[in-house]
Amino acid sequence: MPELPELNPVIHGKLRLALLSLLAGVEEAEFTWLRAKTGASDGNLGAHLLKLEEAGYVLMEKRFVLRKPQTLYRITQPGRLALTEYVQALKRLLGAAIDA
Amino acid sequence: MTDPITSQDLRDRLNLIESMMSEGRQKTESWGWSFVLWGIAYFIAIAWGTFGHSNYAWPVTMIVAAVITGFGAFKTREHHPETTLGRAIGAIWIAMGWSLFILCISVAASGHAEQHVFLAMIEGALGTANVTSGLILRWRVQMGVGIAWWAAAVASCFVTIDQSGYIFLAAIFLCQIVFGVYMMISEAAERRARAANSGASHA
Repeated sequence: MPELPELNPVIHGKLRLALLSLLAGVEEAEFTWLRAKTGASDGNLGAHLLKLEEAGYVLMEKRFVLRKPQTLYRITQPGRLALTEYVQALKRLLGAAIDA
Repeated sequence: MTDPITSQDLRDRLNLIESMMSEGRQKTESWGWSFVLWGIAYFIAIAWGTFGHSNYAWPVTMIVAAVITGFGAFKTREHHPETTLGRAIGAIWIAMGWSLFILCISVAASGHAEQHVFLAMIEGALGTANVTSGLILRWRVQMGVGIAWWAAAVASCFVTIDQSGYIFLAAIFLCQIVFGVYMMISEAAERRARAANSGASHA
């Protein structure tokens, strides 16, 4: 029997998974847009984005547009790879659950 | 170590990934208004130039329209993520706008303006931008608009000066104003459909 894959704990939480998936569909996104899409609070969102940043899965950039501060996030190549591997692991686990 | 998960949880996670990725890729920008704006700007420039006999009609109207478009683009994109698709489409229209601006200024300043060629050049450029956008978006309606501009460009080369002016006016009405209004209606319907389908919180 083949060994079942482990799910990446960094993106296993639903909010982090949602954030990485959102960022996979865009070039870069503002903190406010991520907050609106996930419905998370500022503190919760900031903490989870920091975890993703520490893992090297997202990059954060602060900039000013017309004197207004913007916090932008973009997914990195390791982040994209982690998401791809996570999806593959989920599919394998789901296949194993159906076969069982 | 992750908790033991059920097959339903696995499915939920796959659905979450899929729905979040499609949220990001959703078209969030509305551009129908800019087609209507430029259609009206062309009409104003033509009317001002024809009846007011002013050399400032075209440059002033085009610059004002460009400033309004720039401001509108900034407001439209504010708080929306940038997508590769959006950047590609934007690049086409910005490049087309600049090339027309530079060429029109040069043609007017050189005194070599000839109405057939001048209108055919504008119509051809608008045809190229619309067809390219239509091909990228796989949107046949916009491809049709581009082809209509090209047809106008070809026709302008073979008719009288007055007729080329009428063709240009008809093309502006059809390809800018009618198409712009159609786009605005489509975008509003899309926004309503999206609002009806959303509302889930993933936190």
